[in-house]
Amino acid sequence: MKISVDWLKEYVDVGISPSELRERLTMIGFVAEAMEERDGDIVLDVETYANRPDTLGHLGMAREVAAMLDLPLKTPAPSLSELEEKTSDAADVQVLDEALCPRYCGLVVRDVNVGPSPDWLRRRIEAMGLNPVNNVVDVSNFILFATAQPVHFFDLEKLAGPTIVVRRARKGELLRSLDGRDLALEPDSLVIADEARPVALAGVIGGEETAVGESTHHVFIESAHFDPVSVRKTAKALGLQTDASYRFERETDVAFPPQAARLAASLLGAFGGRPTSGLVDIYPKPRKSCECRLRQKRVAELLGVEIDAEFIRKLLTALGFGLQAQPRQSWLVKVPSFRVDIEREADLVEEIARFYGYDRIPSVVPPLKIIERAASEENRPDRAAQVLLQQGFDEVLTYSFADTERQKILELPRRPIDIRNPVSSKASQLRTSLAGGLLETMAWNLNRGAEGLQIFEFGHVYFQEEEAHREQTALALAAMGRRGGAHWLARPEETGFFHVKGAVEAVMSRLRFEPFRFQHLEHPIFEEGSGLTLFYKGDLVGRLGRLRRRITEAYGIKDDVHYGELDLDALFGKTSRPFQFSPVPKFPAVVRDLAFLVPESATFQDIKDGIEKMALPNLESFDLVDRFAGASLPAGRVSLAFRFVFRSPGGTLQSAEVDRLQGRIVGHLRTALKMELREGGEIDNRAGKN
Amino acid sequence: MPQSPKEAFQAEARALRLRLEDAGRRAKNASALEDLRLEFLGRRSGALSRLMAGLASLPAEDRPEAGRLVNALKADVEDALRKLEEGFRTVEKRPPAVDLTLPGLQRPAGCPHPVRVFLKQIEAIFVSLGFSVEEGPEVETDYYNFEALNFPLHHPARDDWDTLYLDGGLLLRTHTSPVQVRVMEKQKPPIRMINPGRVYRKETPDPTHLPMFYQVEGLLVDEGVTFAHLKGTLEYFLRRLFSEKLKIRFRPSFFPFTEPSAEVDIECLVCRGKDSACRVCAGTGWKEILGAGMVDPQVLKNVNIDPEKYSGWAFGMGIERMAMFAYQIPDMRPFYENDMRFIRQFRNK
Repeated sequence: MKISVDWLKEYVDVGISPSELRERLTMIGFVAEAMEERDGDIVLDVETYANRPDTLGHLGMAREVAAMLDLPLKTPAPSLSELEEKTSDAADVQVLDEALCPRYCGLVVRDVNVGPSPDWLRRRIEAMGLNPVNNVVDVSNFILFATAQPVHFFDLEKLAGPTIVVRRARKGELLRSLDGRDLALEPDSLVIADEARPVALAGVIGGEETAVGESTHHVFIESAHFDPVSVRKTAKALGLQTDASYRFERETDVAFPPQAARLAASLLGAFGGRPTSGLVDIYPKPRKSCECRLRQKRVAELLGVEIDAEFIRKLLTALGFGLQAQPRQSWLVKVPSFRVDIEREADLVEEIARFYGYDRIPSVVPPLKIIERAASEENRPDRAAQVLLQQGFDEVLTYSFADTERQKILELPRRPIDIRNPVSSKASQLRTSLAGGLLETMAWNLNRGAEGLQIFEFGHVYFQEEEAHREQTALALAAMGRRGGAHWLARPEETGFFHVKGAVEAVMSRLRFEPFRFQHLEHPIFEEGSGLTLFYKGDLVGRLGRLRRRITEAYGIKDDVHYGELDLDALFGKTSRPFQFSPVPKFPAVVRDLAFLVPESATFQDIKDGIEKMALPNLESFDLVDRFAGASLPAGRVSLAFRFVFRSPGGTLQSAEVDRLQGRIVGHLRTALKMELREGGEIDNRAGKN
Repeated sequence: MPQSPKEAFQAEARALRLRLEDAGRRAKNASALEDLRLEFLGRRSGALSRLMAGLASLPAEDRPEAGRLVNALKADVEDALRKLEEGFRTVEKRPPAVDLTLPGLQRPAGCPHPVRVFLKQIEAIFVSLGFSVEEGPEVETDYYNFEALNFPLHHPARDDWDTLYLDGGLLLRTHTSPVQVRVMEKQKPPIRMINPGRVYRKETPDPTHLPMFYQVEGLLVDEGVTFAHLKGTLEYFLRRLFSEKLKIRFRPSFFPFTEPSAEVDIECLVCRGKDSACRVCAGTGWKEILGAGMVDPQVLKNVNIDPEKYSGWAFGMGIERMAMFAYQIPDMRPFYENDMRFIRQFRNK
């Protein structure tokens, strides 16, 4: 809202400089985003609030300033020289919808000389950033910016007759608006109509046909109170926001229409106009003013500072509130009709705080309190992030939006959720997977010279499941190309599937989601034969593999991208293995490296499962230390070398005992998986490892 | 002239002594020294062992003298070797053959996203004050996003929260406040929580607006909670985050869900109020950084908390804006472009 300092001075004797005024206004909640000099006047562009329609006029802002500076408010008084003719004879106003139009005032001003506005009026209109039109139109705008009560002027002679009806639009009715648009009216919209047709969209805009022009002699002044929601809906439906609708939809002062009509008539008097006598004022259900209790104690309870009763009384009176003292340091406060924002004690406390000054309220750190919920729990996502960072993956955050076409390429069985009013067509859905964002990030960086990327993201994915929407927390990671820069001692490493798998395993182990297992499973986003699923406690919690070429190419990426994702809701919903300390071993271990010829059909997971299922006592660990496949081996076989570490907590293992355990392992693997110990494949090294 | 065994023994010892002197001059490094040690003192085939073995072939009367000779020689050999070894140690103090100032090997770790870096800093401060970290859904209902927070249907106040709508009466939350409502529904006071997360607005991306950004909000509800506590907490927080002597001001504002409401400005860290043309603060010397206020009694009633018994306050801030201000990042969009040259700068934060 533009506030002219000159105009403000009509209502309050501001004695401070405009920049000081700006500073002081800020501290009662009105920030001037800009301040400019205009024709000797200073205009402040003040940010106002949706709940303070009273400050959308100079008079309302002057009331704040007067209270702030402890100065009297000078309210303008109309001076009218009324005709004998009665308003009700000149105009027959009928309100057919009291709900949407609780109050309607009308006044006729006859014999106005339409012409250019006088200088003082031009200045005011220009200060508001508008172009002066003519003296009559400018008066209506002046009233709006002075009082925050919009008034509308009709050319009385252009109305089809003396009847003015406030009613809802009929289906199919049209109105050509003041700004030259043909509006198709909705039956919900409230209109002002003459005998023949709608002549204005109530509270939003007037009609062109009945507008005041050069030829106008007699003016019908409309000063009304319209239902805020109805005005808002109408304006929104037509995509029209006017200075009038902006005020009506925030709720104007229901008590003010008569005064606004008289002030308008009074100003038109300067151009020869004389008002009819007796204002038409249709106000069938006068509203009672709102009253609420204010306890001085409560002010201190909420603000944390005792505020003097006299300060409170004086301030609220200056702001237009009526105060009636009550027992126990309290008041019954009568709220003025223009303060639509105030209904409760808390609202009054804000008024007091605003003018007392937020800067004068002390700063106190609240006493420390142990709240059970706050007790720090293990933050699993943070921990997983730390693991991935250590594994050399960079964290990214990408938009939750997705492009419909790109999302289709993923061919995920998930049904996406559409955004009804997207910011752009490329962001018209919510992502069903984190893959798209990671691929876009890769493409962006590859296009800017990156040679490889290892990234991860924590975020939500969204999809439709039957009638309900689902929102899941996911973790995705992807790797492609090189890792590490050129270094004199080390070459950059080509990343591949096992980097992604290793990172996933690290996350699972470090968070103690063990034991977990992998299984081959095809998935539409992975190349055939490259997909792996991750299970924990029997449920699928993630998948990884090499993304389909078709998908990566859609993002302009030519190299292989390895990708993995975890469903964190599923995973974190499960318990993890508790952390357990085990004593440092006292006795030496026996280490045996065994190399096997293994049929290609047997997976590492099968072997691992097989050995784990044996639950051998004293088998401390086993690791795959070498894998070899080549022409020197029988067809369909690979060579796998495992290192077995045997140890007993109770004493040094005898080699006979180790031989027995080894025999069981070899026997079991032979029977279950057709694995044969390679000739010379047994190396008993490092006996005595401790 | 034939040598007696004694003479032969003595000649051999002399030859050894010469050999020792010569070899000592030639030995230039530790491995040559080791060779020398083997040559003379080796247990089986060392020269001194052989000489000692030769003792047996001497007549008995010559043996004691020859033994003394061998022992003296052995002492001299050991002495010479020790001296040589010490000499090498001094030599090794000189610059080595390899340039040790060459770049070291680092294990390349990943870099966290700057939004998360900043978020964790904020979280840590509030966790130290006993606040819990709560999260909630991003797809929300009108009730949790607006109605429960005292936004009447069709009220223009909603215009300040431009909303992205989904089908079925759902929307993308415009702030993380719905999480506060959800927690208050389940948990009775005292409540101390912060609720970080993604929020959405119908905004076209430009240097200062994004359709998605991260917010952190906080809530404290208890008996006897005042606006003074809000000021005290936020001032402590902002000074820990930015600097001890930061100037902070609270000024009145309006939010449907707080009453009284405040906006918090901090002094412009770029111009400190000294540049009337400062791009960051538009010459005002202040930068708006937080919205806050006492929880509106209607919001408490909506979650069945008695506003006569309990009071509370809440605050909220945008992470990207804070980070932009803290690090003088001129544009908001790079946060979600994920250019590694942008992200990796925050490795050292």
